[in-house]
Amino acid sequence: MSFAIETFPSNPGPAGPHKLGAKLWAPMWAMAALAFTAGTIVAAVRSGNISGGGAEATIQAQAHLVAAFNFTGFATLFAAISFAIARILGVFRSGGAEVQIAAGADIHLLKMPKSAKAFIGLMAVAMMTILVAVVVHFALAAGTASGSVSVADSESAAIVLEGVRRFGVAIYLMAIALGLGNITTVLRFQAARLSEI
Amino acid sequence: MASIMHPTVRPVAQDAAGTTRPQQVGLALAVLGLGMAVVTLVANITAGGDPSVRVSTLPWSFGLTTTAFGTLKLGIGVVLYGILLNLWLRVDSIKTTLGRLVRVEHTVIQSGRIRTAHGLIEVGDGVPSDLPIHKMAKKLWSPMLAMGYMAVIVGFFISLSWASGGGVTASAWTQGIQFLGEGFLLSGISFILGTILWAIRTGGGEVQKGLGVAVKTLRMPVTAKLFVALMAAGLMASVVQFVLYLALAGGAAANNAAWFAFLGPLRELSLALILGGITFALVAIGTALTVQFDRVVELLKTGK
Repeated sequence: MSFAIETFPSNPGPAGPHKLGAKLWAPMWAMAALAFTAGTIVAAVRSGNISGGGAEATIQAQAHLVAAFNFTGFATLFAAISFAIARILGVFRSGGAEVQIAAGADIHLLKMPKSAKAFIGLMAVAMMTILVAVVVHFALAAGTASGSVSVADSESAAIVLEGVRRFGVAIYLMAIALGLGNITTVLRFQAARLSEI
Repeated sequence: MASIMHPTVRPVAQDAAGTTRPQQVGLALAVLGLGMAVVTLVANITAGGDPSVRVSTLPWSFGLTTTAFGTLKLGIGVVLYGILLNLWLRVDSIKTTLGRLVRVEHTVIQSGRIRTAHGLIEVGDGVPSDLPIHKMAKKLWSPMLAMGYMAVIVGFFISLSWASGGGVTASAWTQGIQFLGEGFLLSGISFILGTILWAIRTGGGEVQKGLGVAVKTLRMPVTAKLFVALMAAGLMASVVQFVLYLALAGGAAANNAAWFAFLGPLRELSLALILGGITFALVAIGTALTVQFDRVVELLKTGK
């Protein structure tokens, strides 16, 4: 099997995306926790409004808020997962170099594969897709509550945004599959490199 | 059939040629799922602009979207299985290489615990035994993935009945069973991650034991404990939302709309809990690998 490799004179340490992953997974997780808490509270209030016969515009506005909060949660939670995967890839890179140094061998590391670049690119696209939908949801919630957007228009927009949000989630899952696939590639490379030393 | 329901969690060396297959199959499933999501995006854009098609379009669009997510998650599960197989090949490689390179200094092994920057390390002379979560994870990951995907597919067919006028009953069944399936699929993924943590722990122990040096193993970190707790909470919430949807389908509620309005976010929260646990599992894997790399370097430098 052949791998595209780079040779280094010393341990290059984790690359930029790996360092970012190590720093950002926890804040992203915390943001997701806050967003889902807010979404669940608004959902309970909305459910109460429906059973209490609340105003249609208010109920519709709250539907936008629930979607906005929960999908802020999903966007940041998937980001946390992606960053945790990047952190693992950083551990392999840095640890692999350290082992080769200790064994007195040249430091050969795997060049960032195309699938890793696609992982980062798709993650960014997914994040933007969901966040654009979230921003529009917040705007529609304000517009519907104030009466500047009709309930019918608000419902139509919600249906389109639902499709956009879900598509964003599908892109995120694709990115995560690619990111995990990179771990497999790194494992195969390390197994091959170790047997060369 | 048995090999599909209970695939090996530990390959033998001659299986090496087949270890890229899960990655390829998993990514193909993910692409298929993404393709389904494109179809549902177009369906929702069409329904958003034309109220006359909403009743017949949105139910199957919901069913197909959840099937798309289920297919993507199944793909992720298969890719993770590939990671598990490749981890063992790496263990075999490390065994051979360290056996060649390490000049072992035979000293009396003193059992105990060491505190490090990465957590508490257990020192002993044998391969660490499996923790209960490892035993459960090894047994349950494949049945959970299979049951989850089946539930999602069944839900998709019910969504077709919902689209052709199935009403509240079909709506409640579709949502309830599909999100129970999603919960099972994410739990299956969580169990494979648990199996990967087992492989790192056991493989690391075997390498050290084989060399005749002290076996240093990371004690279960806080992130791993949070992973288990969140996964259990999320799985329970998935079951609860399913039961409540069944109650709605049976006509138990006086105000269906209010219940549907709450159950939608609840089922999303149930998945979020499991996803939150998955994040911690990945972090725990990163920490366990860091400890292993440090140990390999220590062995190469000191021989003990």
